[in-house]
Amino acid sequence: MTTRDLVLAALFAAIIVALGLVPPIMLGFIPVPITAQSLGVMLAGVILGAKRGGFAVLLVLLLVAIGLPVLSGGRGGLATFASPTAGYLVGWFFAAVVTGYCSERFVDRSQSGIVQITGFFLAALLGGVVVDHALGIFYLAYVTGTGLSTAFIGDLSFVPGDVLKAMIAALAGRAVMVGYPLLPQRA
Amino acid sequence: MKTLYVEGDTFLHRLSPRTKLVGLAALSLFLFLIHSPTVLSVSATLGGIVYASLRLGWHQSWLRLRPILLTIAIVALFTLVLNGWHDALIVITRLTALALFAAAVTATTSTGDFIDEITRLAMPLERLGLVRAADIGLSIGLVIRFVPEILGRYQAIRDAHRARGLKVRPLTLTVPLIILTLKNADEIAAAIDARGVRAQK
Repeated sequence: MTTRDLVLAALFAAIIVALGLVPPIMLGFIPVPITAQSLGVMLAGVILGAKRGGFAVLLVLLLVAIGLPVLSGGRGGLATFASPTAGYLVGWFFAAVVTGYCSERFVDRSQSGIVQITGFFLAALLGGVVVDHALGIFYLAYVTGTGLSTAFIGDLSFVPGDVLKAMIAALAGRAVMVGYPLLPQRA
Repeated sequence: MKTLYVEGDTFLHRLSPRTKLVGLAALSLFLFLIHSPTVLSVSATLGGIVYASLRLGWHQSWLRLRPILLTIAIVALFTLVLNGWHDALIVITRLTALALFAAAVTATTSTGDFIDEITRLAMPLERLGLVRAADIGLSIGLVIRFVPEILGRYQAIRDAHRARGLKVRPLTLTVPLIILTLKNADEIAAAIDARGVRAQK
């Protein structure tokens, strides 16, 4: 990793932490506040790609582990990993890596805007919703012993919000790529 | 940023960070293998005694433990409704024990000690050529250094919205925030290299 990659990952980790400290943002059309931290995880993958995005999220998890209250609501410390919802938290790392990998595959600078946005949306959906929720459900079902189907039904209420975040991540990812391209181009 | 570490001179403070982390890992393995509510209840009580021995005071303890205890309570309630009281009792005692011991380790290990320990743990990975152990401490320092700066930028963007009578929307907030922040990367990287912090081997 070059020094620049290291700095980019660290800066993005700082952005994810900062997104947990700002008040939740209201969406215009539905009265639901968006906690921006999981949006930050998708953005890390979409904007930085698999390697740097994964490292950025790993840094955030490291900060949580060493006792800094960097998660939204001032949560932090090793006890966070003992929570029944820890699967979603650890899943962030895999979400960023999968989102980043897919973004590198799906999106190309030569494509038209709408194709790029669709590519980013699918990448964020796969990583931030499918992978993260799957890990969250598995761990929740394992800890509580309630079975996968029950955990899955409990999880469903969080899916619409995260699909919306994937959409925002796609639009923001494309806007950042136009303004300041960072995603490595693959042959 | 204020850490969750509390200065003190208790037995847990004096233990080495490695002993505490290995102990916590072993304990979590043990707690998940045990299915007896009696043993788990004893563990949770022990966790409570260990946590209380840190003498944080009721108010401080409640502030720190409230988020995780609430989550555990909600999950236990669901387990009670779906699987009955036996499973619910196992869930609540096991997770509470784990949370209390983990919170005790966090409160008694300083951030610097943690970074040193992680750097030492990463040494074998460095020999494999995967990461540079010293980079971990450097990156953590960078994150902590830049969070206040990004919060300042967030306020500036919010004020710019207000000055123009616009509502803050996720898109109009995140895009300028990210571009403004990442554009600094080249300068910061050049500054790090110029000082030879990551001496090229």
